[in-house]
Amino acid sequence: MSLTVNGKPEPLPEPPVLSALLQRLSLKPPFALARNGEFVPRDQYAMCGLYPGDEIEIVHPAAGG
Amino acid sequence: MVTTEQHDPLTIYGMEYDSRLLLGTARYESPHQLADAVTAADPAMLTVSVRRQTSGGMDASQSFWNILRATGRTILPNTAGCHSAREAINTAQMARELFATNLIKLEVIGDEVNLQPDPFGLVEAATELIKLGFQVLPYCTEDWVLCMRLMDAGCEVLMPWAAPIGTGQGPRNPIGLRELRQRAPHIPMIVDAGLGLPSHACQVMEWGFDGVLLNTAVSRAIEPVRMASAFAAGVKAGRDGYLAGPMSVQQMAVASTPEIGRPFATI
Repeated sequence: MSLTVNGKPEPLPEPPVLSALLQRLSLKPPFALARNGEFVPRDQYAMCGLYPGDEIEIVHPAAGG
Repeated sequence: MVTTEQHDPLTIYGMEYDSRLLLGTARYESPHQLADAVTAADPAMLTVSVRRQTSGGMDASQSFWNILRATGRTILPNTAGCHSAREAINTAQMARELFATNLIKLEVIGDEVNLQPDPFGLVEAATELIKLGFQVLPYCTEDWVLCMRLMDAGCEVLMPWAAPIGTGQGPRNPIGLRELRQRAPHIPMIVDAGLGLPSHACQVMEWGFDGVLLNTAVSRAIEPVRMASAFAAGVKAGRDGYLAGPMSVQQMAVASTPEIGRPFATI
C-alpha cells in the first residue's frame, strides 16, 4: 500500500506518520506541506497519521511573479 | 536640483516603503542577473512562489532562498496557478510557514487562456485568508463591484491588472482603471500584470496609482538590469507627475511666450 508525494508513489513509512516519511526523504528545510490538499503546520508532523492513498505535496521557495 | 522632494512612502498594511515598485523573481537568465535587477530596480517587495522541487533539486532551491534573504527585501509570496479558493487558501498557508510572513499576493485564476482572475473564488479566498490573519493583496480586475467586495472582505490593498499576465500590452482599459482609482481614492492600488514598458508604469502612476508590480517586462527584456533601472525611473517620474498636479488640457492653442513686447506688433 502506498501514498503519493508530489504525484509520485511512495511506500507508507513505519510508523505511518508524516514525520517518519520526512525523515526517510531526508528533506532539508525550508519546505512546507499539505496532505490531501490541506496545509499541515510544521508542529503537527509527528501527530499527522498517514493512510494508503494519501496525497502529500511538499513545496519549497521558488521564483514567482 | 529638486528641492521640494518630500517623504512619500508607499504604505501597505501599515508598513512604509520608500519604493513604489514591486518586482517578480521569475524568468531571469541566472540568479546573478536577478540579484543585479533587484539592485537596479530597488523594489519595495519581491514576489515569490511555492513549488515542488524541480530538476535543479535541493541545491537550486536553497541557492534561490539564500539570494532572496541576501537582498533584504520584503518577500511577497503568491498563490500563482491556483484555480480554486481552496487551493489558494492552502497554498497561502504553506507560503506563510515557508516565508514567515502574513503578506500574500492572492491569485485565483478563472480562465486558462488569459489567466484572468476568478472574481468569485478571489472574494471567497480573501475572506477566509483575512480571517486567518493574512494581509491579502488580491490580483484582480478593474471591475468596481469586485473591488468593493474585496474591500468589504478586509483587503487594505487592491492590485488590478493592466492586461493579462506576461503580455506586456500596457493598460488595456485606461478609462476603467482611472474610474476605479477615482471611485476609491484612499485605498492603496498597485497595478499588477500586463505592463511592458517604463512608459506604461509612468502612465498608471500619473493616474494616481500607488505602485506597480512587474516581472516579465524586466526579466524578458534584452537587458533586464537596464530595464529594471528604466522602470524605477518611470515609476518615480509618474509619481512625481501625479503629485505635481498636471495642467488642465485645453481645447485651443494658448501661446506660452508672452505677447506683450513682441517685435513688429501693431500697437
